[in-house]
Amino acid sequence: MKTSQTLRLALLLLCLFSLTACVGGRMGVSWPSVGLIDLNGEQHIALAYNNDVALLTPSNGLPARLLNPVNGQPLRDNDGNPRSWIFRGSDNGGGQFYAQPIPIDSETMLIADNNKRLLRVDSVVVELVRAIPIEDKVVASMLAADGVLYVPFQDGGLGAYSLDGFHELWRVPTEEGIWAKPLLVDDSIIFPSLDHHLYAVDRKNGAIQWAADLGGAVASTPLLANDRLYVGSFNKRFFEISLDGVILSSYETQNWVWGTPAIDEDGFVYLADLSGYVHALDAEAGLALRWSQQIAERGIRAGPLVVDDRVVVASRDGKVYWLDRYDGALINAREVDDRPELLGDMLLLEPSETLDIDEPLLLVTSMHDGRLLIAFGIDGRQTWVYPR
Amino acid sequence: MWDLILNPFVTILAWLYSALNQDIVLAIIVLTVIIRVLTWPLFAKQQESSRRMQQLQPQLKKLQEKYKNDKEKMSQAQMKLYRENKVNPVGGCFPMLIQFPILIGLYQAIFFALAATPFQLVDLSERLLIPGLDSLIPLQRLWSPIPQLTDLLPTLDLTLAPTENPPYALALPLLVLITTWAQQKLTMSMTGQKSSKKDDDDEEDSNPGGQAAAMTKSMTTIMPIMFGFFSLSFSVGLSLYFVTSNLIGMVQYSPQGRRVLERVFGGKGDEAPVEVVFADDEPSPKKPRRSKKKKPRKK
Repeated sequence: MKTSQTLRLALLLLCLFSLTACVGGRMGVSWPSVGLIDLNGEQHIALAYNNDVALLTPSNGLPARLLNPVNGQPLRDNDGNPRSWIFRGSDNGGGQFYAQPIPIDSETMLIADNNKRLLRVDSVVVELVRAIPIEDKVVASMLAADGVLYVPFQDGGLGAYSLDGFHELWRVPTEEGIWAKPLLVDDSIIFPSLDHHLYAVDRKNGAIQWAADLGGAVASTPLLANDRLYVGSFNKRFFEISLDGVILSSYETQNWVWGTPAIDEDGFVYLADLSGYVHALDAEAGLALRWSQQIAERGIRAGPLVVDDRVVVASRDGKVYWLDRYDGALINAREVDDRPELLGDMLLLEPSETLDIDEPLLLVTSMHDGRLLIAFGIDGRQTWVYPR
Repeated sequence: MWDLILNPFVTILAWLYSALNQDIVLAIIVLTVIIRVLTWPLFAKQQESSRRMQQLQPQLKKLQEKYKNDKEKMSQAQMKLYRENKVNPVGGCFPMLIQFPILIGLYQAIFFALAATPFQLVDLSERLLIPGLDSLIPLQRLWSPIPQLTDLLPTLDLTLAPTENPPYALALPLLVLITTWAQQKLTMSMTGQKSSKKDDDDEEDSNPGGQAAAMTKSMTTIMPIMFGFFSLSFSVGLSLYFVTSNLIGMVQYSPQGRRVLERVFGGKGDEAPVEVVFADDEPSPKKPRRSKKKKPRKK
């Protein structure tokens, strides 16, 4: 076969490979998860995404240093460099992380991975102590309460495990996956499922107390306020549900509602949908509309945050928007460099001495490897970025 | 731009899923059949063009021999031959270029509709164009080939690769490989492209028809292996699409299938003879199909 012919064949194959590879363009599993955790009396930002779980210092976004528990001196690696609190999946059996870690005591952290494992990690030296096989992958954060760990499984079911021996206490099957952190309300565990239901189960034995059919997949943790649950679904509706599972009122949105809503002190609930709309509803008047605005060019996956008189949302268009909470007017819009999709939940840090910050910080996650976590001041000014 | 092709496919697939009792495998099969039937006129045009090119091969060879020392004249004579026979040497490419994005769009639609992770599912929210389909999400991803025999043939997860499913799922990449090979073979036989050992490399390189034949020959070997390999790592749902698509292709290439489709679309019969017109300065060879023995005149 002549060279030119070989080249033509190679080109054709390359075209085929490229076209089929287009499909694989979005092969990621989920977006970063961010939260605040207390470790040995210090509060840290916990960021879990893909290969790493990192603990960061709120004031500057730098990875927390590992300290010798005896003398308080920094722990150093073989080259003499100070060690940081980063747990890498690549060094520990190829774990992938999208859920928040859970500290269970001063020396132990529990991390669920997307490879069907619960990892018990020594949080002082950040080393894997034990990998406990579980039945399914985990993509949403777990809940720990009173010595029990409640694990939502990506492909369906909620499992309860004892924190001392990690043996399964009970398991509730669901037809589809659970992609949101369960919520503890009195003696009930409330969780949504993609099988269109919001479930309440007895925390002691997993017996189903009620299951509300919301007509579409539910992928967010409900907001609990005034003894009511507020949650949206993929059938473009937002619901107000009583604590015994009765739908009290609903509101029609423009697209799927995926994020957990926010509520202000006046009883107004704020939610966003995947068409880029933000809605403000009166929770005390059967979800009556206060205002609804299309804010972003693309969808808003994460729930809004209420900061003083503003509502903040982050969109797939790579921008963060600050709105007037009374009328929805756009106050400020900030574009993240390179405009990566902003899909992960946001986190608001209030000023405190423990956090060592003197102004509110708004944390936004992206899937850009160079800016996984961006901290904004209340006025929209970017404070720091992780990693640098 | 790509969404203009992809989103209607995703929507139709979701609609079919709804209409077909929420059976995603049936929806994939029906959508593949619909698309393959609708793209039949393009496909037939491409085949017709290949066949005409093939029929001109003897004349092209003669031109190559005649003008082997004058490439410019050879090129002019070739163009004249094409013009007089109303054949576009790259005519077969245009229908293929239109078909290709459609088939890739269909394949991607299956991938997006079977979203199994949050990252994949968030995309789907912008792709459903008909209201009311949102309540179907997520589409069913578990499938039993024979629901009565789930002990023997456990349920497959359509979003996972065959290697992550029960072992019998590994038969799917093999099926993809076999059906792709069979379809390729049928393509060659229907367009009259045969691998001739007489065609040496030089000839292939300067003769477009020879190149096409050589290319087709190589693709017959490479494509089945490549698609079989893809199917090992892609989801089972996509393997089902590949197999369905290949089987439909085989029906389209079969004489019976072609006759039915030609009746529906009013196309030209497959066996319609191609009348070759020869360039002015070329001696007209005997036309075997058209030649009739002269009856002796009665005196």
